[in-house]
Amino acid sequence: MTMDATSSVCNLAILESLDENLIGEILESWNGFCFTTESLLKGNGDLSFGSEFESHAQTLCKHGLESLVQEHFLRSLENTFEKNGASKFWRHFDPYSNVAVLDIDKDPIDEVEVQHVLCKALEELSLEKEYQEKYLLMLVHALQSFKDKESEGRQSSEAERVRLFSKYQLIMASVLMATLPRHFPDVLHWYFKGKLEELSSIMSRVCEDDNESQDKDDMDLDERSKLPCRTGDMDIDGCHHQRRFLENHKLVKNIGMVVRDLRSLGFTSMAEDAYASAIFMLLKAKVHDLAGDDFRSSVLESIKGWIQAVPLQFLYALLAYLGDSVNYDSPLSGLRSPLASYPSSCYPGMGVPSEGLVRWQLRLEYFAYETLQDLRIAKLFEIVVDYPDSSPAIEDLKQCLEYTGQHSKLVDSFISALRYRLLTAGASTYDILHQYISTIKALRTIDPAGIFLEAVGEPIREYLKGRKDTIKCIVTMLTDGTSGDPNGAGSTGDSLLEELNREEENQENTDDDDINTDDKQAWINAQRWEPDPAEADPLKGSRHRRKVDILGMIVGIIGSKDQLVNEYRVMLAEKLLNKSDYDIDSEIRTLELLKIHFGESSMQRCEIMLNDLIDSKRTNTNIKATINQPSQSGAELRDQGVSLDILNATIISSNFWPPIQDEALNIPGPMEQLLSDYGKRFTEIKTPRKLLWKKSLGTVKLELQFEDRALQFTVTPIHASIIMQFQDQPSWTSKNLAAAIGIPVDVLNRRIIFWISKGILADSLGVDTNDHTYTMVDAMVDAGKTGVNSGSCEELLVGDEDGERSVASVEDQLRKEMTVYEKFITGMLTNFGSTALDRIHNTLKMFCVADPPYDKSLQQLQSFLSGLVAEEKLELRDGMYILKKS
Amino acid sequence: MTTVNNNNNHNTQVTNPTMTASKQPLPTAKSVDTQSVLKRLQSELMALMMGGDSGISAFPEEDNIFCWKGTITGSKDTVFEGTDYKLSFSFPTDYPFKPPKVKFETGCFHPNVDVYGNICLDILQDKWSSAYDVRTILLSIQSLLGEPNTSSPLNTQAASLWSNQEEYRKMVEKLYKPIP
Repeated sequence: MTMDATSSVCNLAILESLDENLIGEILESWNGFCFTTESLLKGNGDLSFGSEFESHAQTLCKHGLESLVQEHFLRSLENTFEKNGASKFWRHFDPYSNVAVLDIDKDPIDEVEVQHVLCKALEELSLEKEYQEKYLLMLVHALQSFKDKESEGRQSSEAERVRLFSKYQLIMASVLMATLPRHFPDVLHWYFKGKLEELSSIMSRVCEDDNESQDKDDMDLDERSKLPCRTGDMDIDGCHHQRRFLENHKLVKNIGMVVRDLRSLGFTSMAEDAYASAIFMLLKAKVHDLAGDDFRSSVLESIKGWIQAVPLQFLYALLAYLGDSVNYDSPLSGLRSPLASYPSSCYPGMGVPSEGLVRWQLRLEYFAYETLQDLRIAKLFEIVVDYPDSSPAIEDLKQCLEYTGQHSKLVDSFISALRYRLLTAGASTYDILHQYISTIKALRTIDPAGIFLEAVGEPIREYLKGRKDTIKCIVTMLTDGTSGDPNGAGSTGDSLLEELNREEENQENTDDDDINTDDKQAWINAQRWEPDPAEADPLKGSRHRRKVDILGMIVGIIGSKDQLVNEYRVMLAEKLLNKSDYDIDSEIRTLELLKIHFGESSMQRCEIMLNDLIDSKRTNTNIKATINQPSQSGAELRDQGVSLDILNATIISSNFWPPIQDEALNIPGPMEQLLSDYGKRFTEIKTPRKLLWKKSLGTVKLELQFEDRALQFTVTPIHASIIMQFQDQPSWTSKNLAAAIGIPVDVLNRRIIFWISKGILADSLGVDTNDHTYTMVDAMVDAGKTGVNSGSCEELLVGDEDGERSVASVEDQLRKEMTVYEKFITGMLTNFGSTALDRIHNTLKMFCVADPPYDKSLQQLQSFLSGLVAEEKLELRDGMYILKKS
Repeated sequence: MTTVNNNNNHNTQVTNPTMTASKQPLPTAKSVDTQSVLKRLQSELMALMMGGDSGISAFPEEDNIFCWKGTITGSKDTVFEGTDYKLSFSFPTDYPFKPPKVKFETGCFHPNVDVYGNICLDILQDKWSSAYDVRTILLSIQSLLGEPNTSSPLNTQAASLWSNQEEYRKMVEKLYKPIP
């Protein structure tokens, strides 16, 4: 038995001084004490053994065995508590031991049950504890009365009582803790969750009712927050609220009771954890619910409002009920939440918030910010796609990030989203560019200094550099608003350049004040200075120089503005050459805008091109005005039905234009005559200049008249020349026709497809398999095909079907230049073996001083080298280029 | 019947701006200055690169146009067929009035090449003329490989073995250390 062991230990010291009588007395009362203790504890409130118990205890004390008595009694209490209290208590929760958290979460019935069980179990346990405390009190009394007899001071006995009770508390808590089943915290969590949800739904109902019954929206919060804490007070129209809030208050009271019980059982921190986690979970659910996938409205305020309305109210009531830390006296100004922008209205009716409550608010708000931030960051890609519409979400995110400072999370997550969703082969370059611009605009809001933007933009830029059509797309986007997007979607009819310009003007207007900066203003500016975020790269210059410049970032993709200007020049040339009138207003406008950004000098060639057009218009009018005087040749021409009126020439200064692709072409005689007349006249006016015709360029409007119909076309001169040949001879072999027009047979075969597809010519194989025969289609025979086109409908041929262009594209030019360098690269690699990109670049710069000297960027060289690798001329191994041995 | 009617021919033409290309008189190179040597070497490089001769190649070293590396491939139907030899060129500052110093970097078993790679070739010594250039030097050395001058050898072993082409070929293969 335990008591033997205890007695043998405790009695050793006084053992010697004992005689037999005394021993007998002691043993007797010890046995009696043990028996009464046991029966007392078993008796469930039966106090009949009380007096006997007391006398035995006193006898034992008399013999100096006071500590033994206490020890034994507490040990017995512990055993009983373990048997009756703890094990019974835990048994209540056995049904939940195997249930996974998720299942319970989904079943509301279980939650109610959990609440019920928990309340009951706690009640029982508390009852048990109450009994035991009563017995303990009896022991205290016994000891007390013994001590009174010994006439000792009362004060020490009071201390003794406190000591015993705290010891009991400790024993009980440790028993519970030692036998704690693993699922109990979950049970607590479910309980609080259920209660909080109940509370939350009551609150939202109140909110709705309020909105329906009264329009005093601003009063709502105040009313609601005041009521739970002033119970007796009646409002004028508060009956409705009162009822709600009594209920509400009761609910809080219930919860408070449970928390208090748990606390008294030593579960203080566990209970706190449980309701904290329940609150956070509820908050998270609320944030997800409010935020959702709608980016068009700001949710931060409503989340904050909800925190005020539900969890904080709950905590306030709870803390007040538990009676701790609601301290009306301390002002706590230092601890006030920095987020509480309206401190006076933040805790209406509550007075000054307690420190605990402020801490809670800070915790909750931080959590809400973080949750919302994570939510928005995860969806940032979509948000950016929706950009101007989704700016409220961006604004929210900005606030969250200001508070949490987790910008790096945003950068990492967004970059991986970009890599996964945007920078793939399937995305068109236009889409990528649009997203890039949206990203710039959106992130500019979050991060005006553009530090994170740099990190985010980097992968996009790198990716775009690898695309061939990037420059073209950029130029198109910049200069051409309507056709920038091939699908026509999202085109505002305004070029990006126009938009940028507008923005800049706005900025200038607002910045006007800065010009008159006086000392005072400078001081204010200095005070507003903020350090760069820690993530900023110190190498990239300081803040004020880093104003986000969309155009700069776009040009950064290309590498240099020269390349952009060059591409634009080619596009402009193409556009101008295809113009049939001299209307270049929009081009002039674009050029002026480009000049603002890139400077006059770099746009000089483009300007000359536009001036050529203007001059052409003037010269053209001049020539026609003078040549139309009745002259011999003019009369002759009019006889043939061809007059100079129908000719408009574009006269260009070829030195300033991109290389123009020229094909030899014999144009019909009357036209040839017309051109030479025009040329002569030009020489007369502008001696000593002469015209060199590029006969394959330009457009021809022509009308084909058949017996039953007339067709109009706008085609290239080659097409016109081809069809013209059929005027006199309805059937041609391809060889003869090619010779007549003066173009190679394969070009003819390619070009003539246009007329065949229109059903005007027919193609049949001749005697020689390589020689086709083209015949004019008789309208009657092929009615089905031409029936669609019958009548005088106008066919407009825009551009050439095979993407043939009148101007050599930038890539072609580059390719041509690069082949010169290929020989140098081969020579270099032959003699030096493997060489890195940098070194090839530098060596070319140093030694390749031919005409034109090497002036390419590293990127251009790299793409050229990759081309050579693809052609299996070179090999790339570990970043070194090696000549492939043939 | 059918008539084809040209309504509007819009054509493009080019004016020839009067060119005032003033030809600069060639500077008479009296004193040899580095600039003209540089120009000469650059144009030689350009010519070599664009020339496209097979089996010979040379290129300036990293940042010094006075030091070149060259590569010669043994001509077909000679004992040196299928072997590559590296050469080094070192141009004097008064080039082209003085010949460059040319050495074999790869070991070459040849009557007119010694173990240090020095070459005995008349045009690189007393027969030098400023009309020669890198390309002609490379071609001369390439042909020297197939047609050695056995009368004044630097490598007597090679000279004596030359008559036995089969053995010579074996020797070349044995001693040949290809460029890594």
